Amino acid sequence: MSGKTVIEKILSDHSGEDARAGDRVWADLDLAVVRDFGGPNVVLEYEKQLADKPVWDPQKIAMTFDYQAPAKVVQVANNQRICREFAAKHGIPHVFDVNAGIGQHVLLEHGMVLPGSVIIGTDSHMNLLGAVGSFSTGMGTTDVAAGWATGRLWFRVPETIKITFQGEYGYPASAKDLALFLLSQIDTSKTIYKAMEFYGQPIQALTLAGRLTLDSMVTEMEGKIGFIVPDEQILGWIGERAGKPVEAVVSDADASYWEEWEFNIDGLEPLIACPDRPDNVRPVGEVAGTPVDEVFIGSCTNGRLEDLQVAADVLERMGGKVAPHVRLIVTPATTEVAMEAVEAGLYETFIKAGAMVTNQGCSLCTIGHHGVLAEGDILVSTGNRNFRGKLGKGSLAYLTGPAVAAATAVKGEISLPE
Amino acid sequence: MSEEFVFRGRAWVVGDDIDTDMIYHGSYLPLTDPQEMAKHALEYVPGMEDFTDKVQPGDILVTGKNFGCGSSREHAVITLQYNDVSAVVAESFSRIFYRNAVNLGFPILEVPGIARQVETGDELEVDANAGSVHNLTKGVELQGTPLSGLEKEIMTAGGLFGYLKKELQAEE
Repeated sequence: MSGKTVIEKILSDHSGEDARAGDRVWADLDLAVVRDFGGPNVVLEYEKQLADKPVWDPQKIAMTFDYQAPAKVVQVANNQRICREFAAKHGIPHVFDVNAGIGQHVLLEHGMVLPGSVIIGTDSHMNLLGAVGSFSTGMGTTDVAAGWATGRLWFRVPETIKITFQGEYGYPASAKDLALFLLSQIDTSKTIYKAMEFYGQPIQALTLAGRLTLDSMVTEMEGKIGFIVPDEQILGWIGERAGKPVEAVVSDADASYWEEWEFNIDGLEPLIACPDRPDNVRPVGEVAGTPVDEVFIGSCTNGRLEDLQVAADVLERMGGKVAPHVRLIVTPATTEVAMEAVEAGLYETFIKAGAMVTNQGCSLCTIGHHGVLAEGDILVSTGNRNFRGKLGKGSLAYLTGPAVAAATAVKGEISLPE
Repeated sequence: MSEEFVFRGRAWVVGDDIDTDMIYHGSYLPLTDPQEMAKHALEYVPGMEDFTDKVQPGDILVTGKNFGCGSSREHAVITLQYNDVSAVVAESFSRIFYRNAVNLGFPILEVPGIARQVETGDELEVDANAGSVHNLTKGVELQGTPLSGLEKEIMTAGGLFGYLKKELQAEE
C-alpha cells in the first residue's frame, strides 16, 4: 500500500479508518462555523430537526458575522440575533460579532485553526485555511446543522493533484497573479473536488498572506482544498496564538497522486480576470485603458495588511489621489489588520487619496455591503469572483491584485502600477 | 420523492457554469422562508427570468458542466426543490451543490453529453437509480453515473437528517 497524501492523512486521523482517495468516511470535526449568512438557516434547521437538543460541543462551534457587518437590512439584523440567541442558549463562547472581520481570518488570528484540523463552515472559501495545512471546507445548512448535533460528517476522500511551481517573479506580480495564472492554465473539469498540494520555491517564498491569497482561489478552480505545508515561521505564529506547539501534516514520500503538474512561472506578470469568469484571465496590459467606476481592495483573498500596504504604496507613488470619477473602497480583513493598518499610517494615505475605508468584513464580495453597482458600472476588485451581476444586475467586474487595483483607482482606467 | 428514483417531466435546459448567484442571487440571502426563497429560482440565468411563472411540478432541469459553482449556499438547492423541480441532470456538478442536494434528498444525476441531447420542453424520463435519461420527445437514451454507496443511502433516507435519525434518537 502506498503512502498517503495530506488529505488522506487528515481524514484517516479523524475517522479512525485507513482513508484513501475515493473512500467515504465519517470524520470528527474540530470546528463547525456559521456566518450571519447561512447561520440563521443552520439554527432554524437545527431547531426544526432537534428542538432543544444540546449541541455536541459548544467549544467547537463558532459564529463569525462578516456578511453584512453591521447589518443594514432588518432581516439580516434579525438573522444575526437568531444566531446570538442560539449561542447564548447553548453556551457557545466563540461568537465573533459584526466588529470582528472575515471569519476564516479571525479564527486563524485567534489560534483556532491548527494544521491537520477538520473545519467546516457556511462559506465556500473556508478552504483558504489549507494555507496553514488545515482541511477546511465550505458546507451548506444541513451539513453544519448535523455537524453541530453529532460532531462528525461524511466525506468523500478527494484525490490529490500535486502542483509544483518553478521560477522566480517579483513586484508588481503577487500571489494573486499566481492564483490567476493557475486558473488560466487548468481545466476545471479535471480539478472538480480534487485536493491540491502546492510545492516549489515560489510557494515556499510566499508569506502567510500570500498563501491565503492563493488558497482562497482554489474554490474558483473548483478544487476542494489547496494544501501548503506550513513553514517553521508560520507554525510558530499559529502555536503562539493557539497557546501550544503545533506540527505540520506532511504527505508521505510515496503518496499516490491523481496527477502531478508542473508550472514554470518565471517572470510572472500582473494578470486580471475579465468578466464574467475568474478563469477569463489576461495580462493586465491587454485590457489597460478600460475605464472603471469603482475599485475594491479587500476580501478574504486580498484583505491582509500586506495587501493594503502594497495598495497604499502604489497610491502614494502615483500621486496619492484617486481619479475624481472613481469610488475606491478599502476594507481590512479583520480588526487586527485594521489596527495594524492604522499604526502603519495606511488609513491616512487612503483617506487623503479619496478612498473610503470601511469596517472589517467581507465587504464587496457579496451584495450585502455598501458600494453595490449600477447597471453599466465597471468594478476592479481584489476579490475572488466576478460572476455576472454578482454586485448588481448589468454590472461588470474584473479581478486583480492590490497593486493593479490601486493603480487603476489613480488612473480611472485599468492600469499597471508605475 | 419517488422511492424508485424515476421521474418523468418536461425539460428546462441551461448552459455551463451556472453559478449560485444565477440560481439564487446573493441579494436574497437574508430570506429564510423556503416558499419566499423559491420565488427567485434561476432569476439571474439569462433567458430564465420567467422560470418561476412557467415551471410545472415535476419539471426537470438539464444543465451543462459545473452546475452550481460558487457559493456554499444551500438556498440554491432549496429554491429548486420548492418549485417542485423533480431532478437536476447535469454534465457535471460543482461539488458543494452536489453535496447539498444529497443532504436534502434532492435527486441529481451526472450524464455526459446531456445538454446537447435535450431541448427545453422535451419530455424526459430520468432513472437516477440506473443513471439513465430517456428523451421521449427525441427518442434518445443517455447513460450517466447511477446513484451509489453512501450518497444513495442518504438520498434514499430523504437527506442527511433522515439518515442520521436513528443515531440521533439513540443518543437521547
